[in-house]
Amino acid sequence: MDPSEVEFLAEKELVKIVPNFSLDKIYLIGGDLGPFNPGLPVDVPLWLALNFKQRQKCRIIPPDWMDVEKLEEIRELEKREEAFTPVPSPYYMELTKLLLNHASDNIPKADEIRTLVKDIWDTRIAKLRLSADSFISQQEAHAKLDNLTLLEINTIREFLLNSLNCMFKLRSNLQAGSSGRTFTDY
Amino acid sequence: MDAQSYHPVSPGVGTEENFLSLDDILLSHQRHPVRTECAFPRLGFLDRSSDSEDLPEGTKMELPLWLSKGLYERKRRVLSVELPKVYKEGWRTVFTADPNVVNLHKMGPYYYGLGSQMLHFDSPENPDIAQTLLQTFIGRFRRVMDSSQNAYNEDTSTLVERLDCLEKALFRSGQSGLNGFQSWEKGRASQLTASSLVINYRKRKMADVQA
Repeated sequence: MDPSEVEFLAEKELVKIVPNFSLDKIYLIGGDLGPFNPGLPVDVPLWLALNFKQRQKCRIIPPDWMDVEKLEEIRELEKREEAFTPVPSPYYMELTKLLLNHASDNIPKADEIRTLVKDIWDTRIAKLRLSADSFISQQEAHAKLDNLTLLEINTIREFLLNSLNCMFKLRSNLQAGSSGRTFTDY
Repeated sequence: MDAQSYHPVSPGVGTEENFLSLDDILLSHQRHPVRTECAFPRLGFLDRSSDSEDLPEGTKMELPLWLSKGLYERKRRVLSVELPKVYKEGWRTVFTADPNVVNLHKMGPYYYGLGSQMLHFDSPENPDIAQTLLQTFIGRFRRVMDSSQNAYNEDTSTLVERLDCLEKALFRSGQSGLNGFQSWEKGRASQLTASSLVINYRKRKMADVQA
């Protein structure tokens, strides 16, 4: 899976916008949106919000968690805890990137938020790598990975799956060798 | 980015080979020492050092894996197979001590594959070999993972040169994950690019085909 596909999925997340135009309810397959009235906040999917924003038809209200203090709290918690802590949104990384790239004028302290989210991401990836290593070295058969987001899983998926496959095969050698499997002709 | 015109078959690693895997085909050409247990008439040419027409019993020589695997039988002893030295006790201690210092590319480059194939031949050391293979893989895993997930936009040849072929494939998959994420983060993923297949496509001229 490509990160851009993950981003595509993230674009379904709802964000609040304040439109500066009026439009009746629009009926889409994915659900009805609107009605849009100037100055009245309304929930729309991210893709629509970005589209309006690019045409300067709305102001995006950043999600509650996209705030320096809250993110600092999350970062500290993430550093302190050994396990993964719950993230504010299952698409926090994608949302941050898209919103900061397209609507940084609507988000206070955009640069700080970018650094904080990157810090959280780095901590979590380091943790993910650490747990993958201990998973392999202890030869565990299963693991519980709560609170991981799709994008995080996605960066390590291929590598981890391939190595687990290899390890499984090397391990089944072990059993085949000890049970004295009969050798058939080739 | 690394789209290929065909889908490479991954090596079988275990005791079974993957028929269509290029790595496994190359692996089956690896030579290893054997000793003949009966005379092979008219096969003297296999042993370059002797002039006789037949291959006498007890000759020590090196055969490729595919041949020795075909000739080896448990009941009728045609060949006895000696372990390559990487799988012998001396090296096994080295691997248990610290698998990270060994240059597996020089030792193999199909250390895991050949080791698993060696389990076909009856030997009291088989369980130990299998155990060492697994422990070596586990011991080296961290290094492979860290280097593949951290080396972005730099020369990886020094990182890769000591890796076994199997580990190299893992390294590549780790790199593709990292590169995918980094190019997304930099916003390069949103730009549309032509597929590598299209770029590399050249129409063959009729004259080239016929020549």
